[in-house]
Amino acid sequence: MPTLIKNGVVATDDWACGPDATAGQRPFLAPDAWRVAGQTDAGLLLQVDSEPEEDFIKAPLIAIYFPEFKDGRGLSLAALLRSRYQYAGDLRAIGDTHHDLVHYLVRCGFSSLVLPDGRDVAVALKGTEVYSHYYQGSVGDPEPLFRKTRR
Amino acid sequence: MYRYDAYDQAFVDERVAQYRDQTERYLKGELSDQEFLQLRLRNGLYIQRLAPMLRVAVPYGTLSSTQLRMLAHIARHYDRGYGHLSTRQNMQFNWPELEEVPDILANLASVEMHAIQTSGNCIRNVTSDEFAGVSADEIVDARPYCELIRQWSTAHPEFDWLPRKFKIAVNGARNDRAAIAVHDIGILANRNAAGEVVFDVFVGGGLGRTPVIGELIRSDLEVKHLLTYLEAIMRVYNRFGRRDNKYKARIKILVRAMGAEEFRRQVDAEWTHIQGSAQTLTAQEVTRVTGQFEPPAYEQLDDQPLLLANARLEDVGFDRFMRHNIKPHKVAGYAIVTLSTKITGVPPGDVTDVQMEQVADWSDRFGHGEIRISHEQNLVLPDVRQSDLPALWVLARDAGLGATNASLLTNIICCPGGDYCSLANAKSIPVAEAIQRRFDDYDYQHDLGDLDINISGCMNACGHHHVGHIGILGVDKKGEEFYQISLGGHSGHSGQAASLGEIVGPSFSRAELTQAIATILDTYTALRIEEEPFLHCYRRVGIAPFKEKVYANAD
Repeated sequence: MPTLIKNGVVATDDWACGPDATAGQRPFLAPDAWRVAGQTDAGLLLQVDSEPEEDFIKAPLIAIYFPEFKDGRGLSLAALLRSRYQYAGDLRAIGDTHHDLVHYLVRCGFSSLVLPDGRDVAVALKGTEVYSHYYQGSVGDPEPLFRKTRR
Repeated sequence: MYRYDAYDQAFVDERVAQYRDQTERYLKGELSDQEFLQLRLRNGLYIQRLAPMLRVAVPYGTLSSTQLRMLAHIARHYDRGYGHLSTRQNMQFNWPELEEVPDILANLASVEMHAIQTSGNCIRNVTSDEFAGVSADEIVDARPYCELIRQWSTAHPEFDWLPRKFKIAVNGARNDRAAIAVHDIGILANRNAAGEVVFDVFVGGGLGRTPVIGELIRSDLEVKHLLTYLEAIMRVYNRFGRRDNKYKARIKILVRAMGAEEFRRQVDAEWTHIQGSAQTLTAQEVTRVTGQFEPPAYEQLDDQPLLLANARLEDVGFDRFMRHNIKPHKVAGYAIVTLSTKITGVPPGDVTDVQMEQVADWSDRFGHGEIRISHEQNLVLPDVRQSDLPALWVLARDAGLGATNASLLTNIICCPGGDYCSLANAKSIPVAEAIQRRFDDYDYQHDLGDLDINISGCMNACGHHHVGHIGILGVDKKGEEFYQISLGGHSGHSGQAASLGEIVGPSFSRAELTQAIATILDTYTALRIEEEPFLHCYRRVGIAPFKEKVYANAD
């Protein structure tokens, strides 16, 4: 079973774990279908090469689908949705997410991720504890080290 | 030079702990090869033809004597007693055990070093002028800006998973020893009319299978904007660079596809959103980092023309050493010394553990305990008292680091090639050696003057063959090694614009290659006017006469 990690803990909710929902799950919809379905009720499914748009911020949940964990476009898209479009809802990484890369996801603004079968949940849960400080600012913590502390 | 504070040290220590855990999980079978691959690459570990290869970052080519002694220790205990200087100013170890790499990294961290982002599709080690901070032709010391970029690019949340590897070089001298024209981003540090540091930013240069000279997209960028402007470039590249074909994934392909004008427009559009953001450099931070590169305590000395002239008369070897391996220092009474690794019979760039310790000792004894690695794969002592040069020469000569060829033909830039590298189409080290043997005669080399021969074993161009005056590229023809020759390349180091070499024609077998080089050199000496250097002569006469001679005896 894929595992949902939300705000740093294993969680369950009624959203789909991937692009396709099963019985009892609410689906994510691609932008056109999402607009038809009613933007504030349906989840929005974006690909890593999706162009962010103003109305996306109405979605209760945005899922970005990573075709491969090494595809960094999803990181830039997440950072743009949070920083430029001020998206405040749940931002979820789905697809090929990697338990050792959680700190990148979190720092670019993802609030949840779905780990596929076979990936290490324990490692993922500790993913944000690896480093005590980073040099750069990030989405949730915009000040770089040189502004936060007297070096 | 830059010294780590508690934050820098914590970061490398935590990185070692993270990588140790990842290695253990891999060895227990909890991480697949594919999952581990991307993690080990970002910690410098390749799996090569014969063994793993660990590439240690030497930020902008600057080392302390303590750090060089640690590299010697690693070479002795974890490798086979030598290391290899790369064309990106790093040091590579060819025989580490995968299981021991976390220990090697811990050793590195104990002397403020790491191997972070020395491979993988991420921002690589920033390179610069090996003479930065000491050269007489310097306008701006590039090192503080390299260090600011190093910190900004280390584990960047958004830009560690790029379409392809990404190389940034910074130059602040009149002569471009950092080859900024052939980097993904090249930064030229300069001073404006008010004397403030400003940057010209070039993008989309590179070698590899599609060699391109970078395009200028921003002039006179203020220091405080350096990181936000880089962020804008990286975001455009990360989002729109091709990921479907690794041969078309470098930023140069994106810049070419969009056109430099459109690329600049998109970067500027991105930058308007983030200009002035929290990532904007503070004067305090720039001062903090710049302050770490304050000149060492130089003695009040005079230049020593008489002493050196006498020593040159007494020792022909020292005379040659002075002629080719010594560069003017910005402080009176001092000199910059290049210790060439290009000894015939030794792979270019290889240095032994003992040599590393000797060089570390010399840097303490004759200078301020600092060593540089040049992109030409040599070691540099940046601060030697002129009165010590004769003594240093004798030590270097006896230690096998006394080749007096730093600007000459036998100072060949050469990648590890098919002897080590799993990407190579052909061997390059034996080719370098054959050329060095054939043209070993000092008087002949001296007569030829400044000449760069660069050799790459494949299209990836780690040996920078496109920017050699004579470039040699190994190619595979039905399983046999052949070599293509190009002429007229130049990386920009002698105050002239960078240029890419032009291919002479059909490739040569290894047996034919040295003779072809000899014919090219004979053609040059016949055509040159007085002391006209090879590159000037080539630019005047073009490729036709060389082509004619080199294929005259074919079939």
